[in-house]
Order: sequence, then C-alpha cells, then structure tokens
Amino acid sequence: MFKEFHYQVRGHGHLQDGTPVQDRTKYLSRGGVQVLCLADGAGSATHSQFGAQAVVDEACTTLVNRFADFAASDDGARIKVELLEQLVSKFNQVANQHGVESRELASTFMCVAVSGERFLGAHVGDGVVGYLKNGELKVISAPDNAEFANQTTFVTSSRAAESMRLFRGSLEGVAGFILMSDGTAESLFDARTGRLAAACAKLIAAVGAAPADLSKTSKYTKRLRRLMDLKIRNATKDDCSIGILGRNLARTRPNRPVVGHQVPRGSHR
Amino acid sequence: MATLNIGADDLVDNPTPRVPVSLCLDTSTSMAGSPIAELVRGVNLFYEAIDEDDDAHDSAEINIVEFNSSAGLVHDFASIERLPRISSLTADGLTAMAAGVNLALDTLEKRKATYSGSGVLYYQPWLVLMTDGAPTDNIEIAVKRVVDLVETKKLTVFPIGIGSRADMNTLARFSPNRPPLRLDGLKFKEFFEWLSKSVARVSRSTPGDTVKLDLEGLEGWAEL
Repeated sequence: MFKEFHYQVRGHGHLQDGTPVQDRTKYLSRGGVQVLCLADGAGSATHSQFGAQAVVDEACTTLVNRFADFAASDDGARIKVELLEQLVSKFNQVANQHGVESRELASTFMCVAVSGERFLGAHVGDGVVGYLKNGELKVISAPDNAEFANQTTFVTSSRAAESMRLFRGSLEGVAGFILMSDGTAESLFDARTGRLAAACAKLIAAVGAAPADLSKTSKYTKRLRRLMDLKIRNATKDDCSIGILGRNLARTRPNRPVVGHQVPRGSHR
Repeated sequence: MATLNIGADDLVDNPTPRVPVSLCLDTSTSMAGSPIAELVRGVNLFYEAIDEDDDAHDSAEINIVEFNSSAGLVHDFASIERLPRISSLTADGLTAMAAGVNLALDTLEKRKATYSGSGVLYYQPWLVLMTDGAPTDNIEIAVKRVVDLVETKKLTVFPIGIGSRADMNTLARFSPNRPPLRLDGLKFKEFFEWLSKSVARVSRSTPGDTVKLDLEGLEGWAEL
C-alpha cells in the first residue's frame, strides 16, 4: 500500500483579489485501488472551484470502479472518451445546480491510480505528474501550455480528448508519485530542463516513511503543509496544490490487486 | 517520518514568464519638434512605470523599432533593469511604416524563439505602432502578417494615431479586432501609463485568464 498526502493552499494573488482557492485534491482507497486526483480551476471561470471539486470527486469514484477495465484495455482512445464523458457529465450536473454554463467550471485534471503492481493515470492541461522509480525522478506528464504562459487545456475545452495524456505501467521499483498544479510546479519543476526538482524525491520518501496511522493533525502532515504554506506558496501568486503517493520499497508487499484482467504494458498518449 | 529537510537547492527558481513588447515608432520628418520630444519623454515614463510595478518589472521585455525612410532597431529586447533610457530620437525622412512593422514582427519572432530555446514561458507578444502620418511604402504584406497573427491570437496590437493628420484608416487595417486609438494632442504620458498598467495585468494572468483591457482608462486622453 502507498501512503498519501494531498493538500491545496490559496495563492497570494487570490488573496489579493479576493478569489477563493480554485485548486482541489482528493484521495480515495477502495477495493484494492488507491486513487489520487488533482484539479486546478481556471482563473477566468466564475465557478471553477466547484468544477475542480467535481472533477476530483468524479475521477476518484470512476477510477476506483473502473481501474480493472481501464488497465486491461488497449483502446486508449476509448478510455479517454469514457473518462472525459464522465467528467463532463458531472460538470453539466454541477453547472445546472449553480445555474451557469459548464465552461464556467473549467478546470485542469490529473490523476494516478494504483492497484496490485500496476498503475495508470491521466492528465489534461498544465501542472506535472512525476514518479520516483529505481531511485530516479522522472516526469510522466509535463505541462500542456500551448504557446503562451496563460493558455492551457481544460476538461471543458474542445480539444481536451486530444490533449489528454493517458499513462500506465508496472509499479516494480516505483517508490511513489507526485502530482502538482502549475503554482506548485514553479518550485518543483524546472521548465527549462523539463526535470523535477530534487525536493520531489525527498517528499515522496518522507510520505513513504510516514507512520501508517496518519491523521490530519499529525506532526508529519503539519510539516508537509508548512512546506506548502511557506516555501512553495511564496514562490508564486497562484494557488498551490500537491498530491503524493509514497511507499517504502524495502518493506513493500504488493498491493492487493483489484479483480480484473492482466494489465498490458505500454501507455497511451 | 524521515527528516523533511528541504532547502533552496532542492527547489527550482523558474524564470518569470515574459511579455515581449515592441514599440514601433514613427520618426519621420513630420514628428520633428514637440511630438518627438514628448514621445521620448513618454517612452521613458513607460519604462519608469514598468520598473515600479512588481509584476511588470520581472516580466516585461521591451524593444524599440523606429521607421523613417527605412526601419532600424533603436535597442533590442531587454528587461527593464537592462533597458537603456533613450535621451533623444531624430525625426527625419519618410514614413516607411511597412518596413518598421515587418522589422518589429521579425524581432518578436526571434525573441519568442529565444524564450522557447531556453525554456522560458511567455505571454502573447505586443506590438505598439505609433505614427502621425501615412505610410510611404507598400503595407500589404505587413498588414497581412499582423492580421494573421492577431486572428490566430498570437499577437496583441495597439495602433496609435498621433495628432489630426494620422492616417487612421491605414492604422485600422493593422487592427482587425478593435479600432485604432487617436491620442488627444500629445498625451503620450497618459498612454504609456495606461500601457504599463495593461502589461502588468497580463503579467499577473494565469492559465485560463482572459485579460481585458481597461478601455474606460482611455477616457480623456484618447478616443477609439
């Protein structure tokens, strides 16, 4: 089993202009599947905090329920369409509740799900997904910023399916994953080299080494939050969010696999 | 838990995303006297205003292209700390506006390539075209280049007419999305103050933000 940490903090720019925190993170563990999701609501969308919450809620449930199907399928295009349809359907429902167009809920999206010795994930928009494998930090999915710094793709964008990166693989040698919004990426991802900051390995290791019975008020959680509240947040005006899955490889037993087909190797992009 | 000791060396200090701004200025004979003196003063005030804004200070990179009988680079793109303040510009010759616009677009493309090559993010580039007259060269290619870029949302253009003799019809051809501005008299100061605030707005924007120009802020010193 992986241990997890996820957190979002309101950016200084949002504090100044009175907008709420529009990043959201969520973790769900059920039936041998662990899912971590992160979404960053668009600054221009009036209800994007609700959109980001809807995305992480719906994606966690969908991935817990469909992990075996998605992991076994070789039809990446179908998985993208199904996942997006699920998210957009939730958007429409939430938009109706608030009496707004669904584009007012615009949000990016990224997730990682693990079960047994397999993982899979998806990413739409900016932010970064990375992992620590055999002691080496690697980027799984880099930001999609189009040409300009203030442009990206959202779940509600017409080219969301085209932009979505779908990935999967074996958990052998994988100590953990890290998901981050663009605000956090300003400190933890080098845009010039396309590499993750060394801090990512330390964060994954810290989460993996944490005691199993964690509470939101534990010393461990407080220290991670403090890092986000101060160092990471002070490097940007944007909201900052992060999601980490970590495990101690030396003591690792395979996760209880979800019932399903054998997962083929490879990834869909 | 393992010791969580994260220092500055473990984090990344990414460069601030840039806003490249090309000032494409008419320095033909008709600009001689007060207009060119006020223009120089306005440009330097623009630099000061950018310098004073925390966000624009780190993101704006500005160059100046002048056009008279030909086009030339007064200074290349630089951040506000490295920008040379201009002491004077010489007004002389014809109005090779197309040559000026083409040179400004070339410098913007080159700057974008520099950003991309070094992993620096950037915002949509800006072209500020200022003239008090009408072009004396063929503008068709320059107009097409600008319009194509504006329509594909790869360029923000501000065509500015100076005084009553500025050819607003020509300037309008460079601006498919909004009419050109005509300055009220020689109110460069007000224009450049407004421009610096607009640059600052862009430099604060995040993905998904639609940066709206403060058109009400134009009142009293310019008309659309």
